[in-house]
Amino acid sequence: MVNSLSCLLKNKVTEDDIVRDEEIEQLGREIQREIDVVFGRSLAIRELDTGSDNATEIEINNLSNPYYDVERFGITFVASPRHADVLIVTGAVTQNMALAARKTYDAMPSPKFVVAVGDDACTGGIFKGTYAVLGGADALFPVDLKIPGNPPAPKEILAGLLALMRGAGKTR
Amino acid sequence: MAAEMQMDTESVQDLVGSKDLAERLVPGCNGEYYLTVGEPEFGPLATGLASRKCVLIGLFCTEEFTRDVRFSLLYVFEKKNVVLIVVRNTGPAATSVARLFPSASWFERECRDGFGIEFEGAFDERRLFLHETYPEGFHPLRKDVRNVPVVMRPSVNVTDEYPFRSVTGNGVYQVAVGPVHAGIIEPGHFRFSVIGEKIFNLEIRMFYKHRGIEKLAEGKAPQDVVGIAEAVSGDESVANAAAYCHAVEAIAQTAVPERVLYIRTILMELERMGSHLGDQAGMLVDIGFPLGASQFLVLREDVFRMNAVLTGSRFLRGMIEPGGLSRDIRKRQLDELGQFIRELKQRYRIGLKIVLSTSSVLDRFSPTGIIRKSLLRPLNITGPIARASGGRVDVRINHPYCLYDRYVPAMKPLNDGDVLSRFTVKASEFLDSLDLIERLLADIPEGEIKTPPEIRDGYALSLVESARGETLCWVWIRNGTVERYKVRTASFCNWQAIEHAVQGEIIPDFPLINKSLNLSYAGTDL
Repeated sequence: MVNSLSCLLKNKVTEDDIVRDEEIEQLGREIQREIDVVFGRSLAIRELDTGSDNATEIEINNLSNPYYDVERFGITFVASPRHADVLIVTGAVTQNMALAARKTYDAMPSPKFVVAVGDDACTGGIFKGTYAVLGGADALFPVDLKIPGNPPAPKEILAGLLALMRGAGKTR
Repeated sequence: MAAEMQMDTESVQDLVGSKDLAERLVPGCNGEYYLTVGEPEFGPLATGLASRKCVLIGLFCTEEFTRDVRFSLLYVFEKKNVVLIVVRNTGPAATSVARLFPSASWFERECRDGFGIEFEGAFDERRLFLHETYPEGFHPLRKDVRNVPVVMRPSVNVTDEYPFRSVTGNGVYQVAVGPVHAGIIEPGHFRFSVIGEKIFNLEIRMFYKHRGIEKLAEGKAPQDVVGIAEAVSGDESVANAAAYCHAVEAIAQTAVPERVLYIRTILMELERMGSHLGDQAGMLVDIGFPLGASQFLVLREDVFRMNAVLTGSRFLRGMIEPGGLSRDIRKRQLDELGQFIRELKQRYRIGLKIVLSTSSVLDRFSPTGIIRKSLLRPLNITGPIARASGGRVDVRINHPYCLYDRYVPAMKPLNDGDVLSRFTVKASEFLDSLDLIERLLADIPEGEIKTPPEIRDGYALSLVESARGETLCWVWIRNGTVERYKVRTASFCNWQAIEHAVQGEIIPDFPLINKSLNLSYAGTDL
């Protein structure tokens, strides 16, 4: 039998943050402020890999690890393009992915934003002008923001998203 | 050493079977042997190699390798520590060996797309990396095809669509997944045939990310190809860069300084640690156990940050180059690494204990997604997956490179072949990597970080154990530039195991099984 009084008096079973990165906290709060105003407190992102070397995916996945945990700032990665405000594109657009990429973009409701993450998605990178790729993400659809890097670090991706929010806020 | 080499020669002679063939064996630059055979000799030789339980670890095509012959097919066979490359000079048609060596099926389809070689008697003649929008008769790896944008077919008729194997019967239906998946994952297509929830058959279709890596390397100066090797698969950057540089160095017979060997070995183990941690976290995410997953995710972020401190890159990129390293790592940073490794050992054990003492985890992990040992050799399955199914394969032990002959990793295979075995094998390999790095740090000498790179013409094969398994790389330098760069990552072969691992399982277990196999899409699609 649990004594309810002891539950009140005892310390809660929690632990301190095992990790804390002040730079991320600061960046996150700024993003959250923008998301609250521009996107009604929730920014839904759909990630689309059109031919990356998987390093960029790893860094985007890292945004959800306990160091960054971006969901607390209002950023969610969604399973369907139908739920997305932003499409993050990684990798040069390969011929073999062109159709699926196009369908993903078309499935998103407007207004929509496209962010190219990583050198290959920005310009086609080292694959530009070869038989297997069409080029960067802008070979398929309009790109609102490019975050270069090989791959960009999670902090750089967050800083990029903040810039996107600010830009979107202005055009509202 | 001399006695050992003698033994090598003897066993490769046994392998080819006949005295006549054994006399024609030519030693290569990196410990491999070459044997050029005519068409009548090839069939019996292949049958013999199959009966002597050789594994076909690679098969690729190249042009003008033998004077006055346009196409040569290079079959790379491995048995224990012997590597034999059979050079088969052929016309635009050859007989298939896929019935003798099932791993040949994807290799042959790859040669067919790249060079237009037809394989008679092949049981699968569908395209591989060229999807249906590529025009008919287009073979990008041929020398007379320039690496420029190609006119694609504007639309594809229903009749030209990729034919999946169909399973028919009462209550069988298909579930199509991908190429774009629900999570932040690379693209690929999975076609399940299910009865109720049980998976009756799975067929995978890859190569959505085909970026033309091999063609891109051709004609480039050897030092300019390292960046391309690193782009093969992001989390295997070190393994692919090292495999490439080892080949270039073997061709020129360059001896790299001792300090370089130490640092390269440390980088390879750091890469393995990051990969195994991400993998273990992924398995726990996929069974909905974030408490366990967070432990490993935090450690992995710490490893990435340590990587950045040491090399300036979270993926350890830009360090390895032909002849040595692009920059040194200072003593202070190496000391920091030593401290980090000591702490990591403690912290990792805490995470591992949480996971392995949770009954719901064990319930999902075992016995799930079993890969039988009998599949390993026919499909050339390597890496932690093979070691979780009783395979005693590890390039670091069977074909030591860098310092693995002096710092020998432990081989601790498990036999169950399920998700739990793969998780446990990765855990012990992770702890083993920590030990290796500690020992390397204790002995690392001061010294140069570069031998002036000398580029010579020639060709060499190199094998490296990436976090995922055996990486094969073959480089041919001609007139000072790269004539052919062939890379076959472990994932290319390991992917084919998943079709077997999921049979009889339910679809909700598929993501878990997939994650436990940790397959690279980019490294397969090239």
